[in-house]
Amino acid sequence: MSASRDDRVADYVLGLMEAAEAEAFERELAQDADLARIVAESAAQFHELDATAEPRPPRDEIWRGIESRLGTQRPPVAVVRPEWAAIWQSLRFWRWTGFGGLATSAALAAALVAFVARPAPAPQFVAVLVPADSTAPGAIVEIDAQGAARLITLKDIPVPEGRALEVWTLPSVERGPVSIGLMPRAQSRGLSLTAVPPTHSDQLFEITLEPASGSPIGRPTGPVLYKGLTVQAL
Amino acid sequence: MLSSLNGTETHHLMQPRDRASAFDHADAIRRCARGDKGALRQLYEQEAGAMLGVAMRILRRRELAEEAVQDCFVQVWRRAASFDATRGAGRAWLFTILRNRALNILRDGSREETTGADLLADEPDDRPSPESIVVLLDETSRLRRCLEQLEPLRRNGLVLAYTRGLSHGEVASELKVPLGTAKSWIRRAFLQVRECMQ
Repeated sequence: MSASRDDRVADYVLGLMEAAEAEAFERELAQDADLARIVAESAAQFHELDATAEPRPPRDEIWRGIESRLGTQRPPVAVVRPEWAAIWQSLRFWRWTGFGGLATSAALAAALVAFVARPAPAPQFVAVLVPADSTAPGAIVEIDAQGAARLITLKDIPVPEGRALEVWTLPSVERGPVSIGLMPRAQSRGLSLTAVPPTHSDQLFEITLEPASGSPIGRPTGPVLYKGLTVQAL
Repeated sequence: MLSSLNGTETHHLMQPRDRASAFDHADAIRRCARGDKGALRQLYEQEAGAMLGVAMRILRRRELAEEAVQDCFVQVWRRAASFDATRGAGRAWLFTILRNRALNILRDGSREETTGADLLADEPDDRPSPESIVVLLDETSRLRRCLEQLEPLRRNGLVLAYTRGLSHGEVASELKVPLGTAKSWIRRAFLQVRECMQ
């Protein structure tokens, strides 16, 4: 990370970070009380600028939308959700995963196809997997409320002869990484989470390059190609 | 910062913020964390109008601004337990969430067509210039004094980034300077204001 701590505080408070960068920074804030204090103090100082925007009367629909999204209260009329609403929801949750601002339209289109092509149970957690040296997503892991997990690949991943791609998760540091899938080439597929505790926020998922029959030691041995942390979907 | 607004300003300037500072945001957020939906409603009644104004200034489309406000309250409800009153005012926390939601919508690549076209904006772009935004701050405002000490172009860059959600690149083209220059100007100006506010 080339920007200094002061630079990142400035970028975050002024709103100059990309969504993914801002989310990573927020995770850092959750771990670093000192940094969080500096950010809160700066945000409070600049917050006065928000008062220079002319207030607008909100329509009642805004509150009704909030209530229905919180889901504890029924919307006044039961409606059958049209198909486009499901697509819209998908776009919506991608934005929250930080995917939105970074996606190339091709990756977005490819992933949209993946979403539209199957009936989508609402994902509870989503992890966008990116390579170490870039913010371009290569795959998405989504886990629904029943704990069913699915990998959606967005890019072809070159796999040398005699090697395979292995998917891992890190349910906790004590437990260590657990293999949840082995595949000869990049493909969208289900993942098995039966051997691990229920997924939580900020749980690491990663794809490594391993021997064709999988890592011989039950831990990643090859290079990490893509990794990402889970975020709770709304 | 909010507490310094109490009782020191002339009445006509104070109305909206006076109401805001009389309301205990931190308490309402804590009640949200305990699952009290009435508290969320109170926050909404208190702030939805101001939030919509801030979101409109960034997004310029009512539908998108409304979505940002909705996103914000859903997030507030979910994240209320992580709010730490010892680290800052509740109202600033709420507006940080709101601005992040609005900026995410603004920079959402999949919506470039819908957010980028001026034709789709609900209102002509008559948003106040950065100079006039600074003047809208109270005369007694410390932030205003600190902003006024900055070199004008740098001040404009900082204010444009914050109020319109311009990116480093957009600020650079607005100020007609190279990207690296805009970046370091904005970051430096931010630090100068921070030091001045201490």
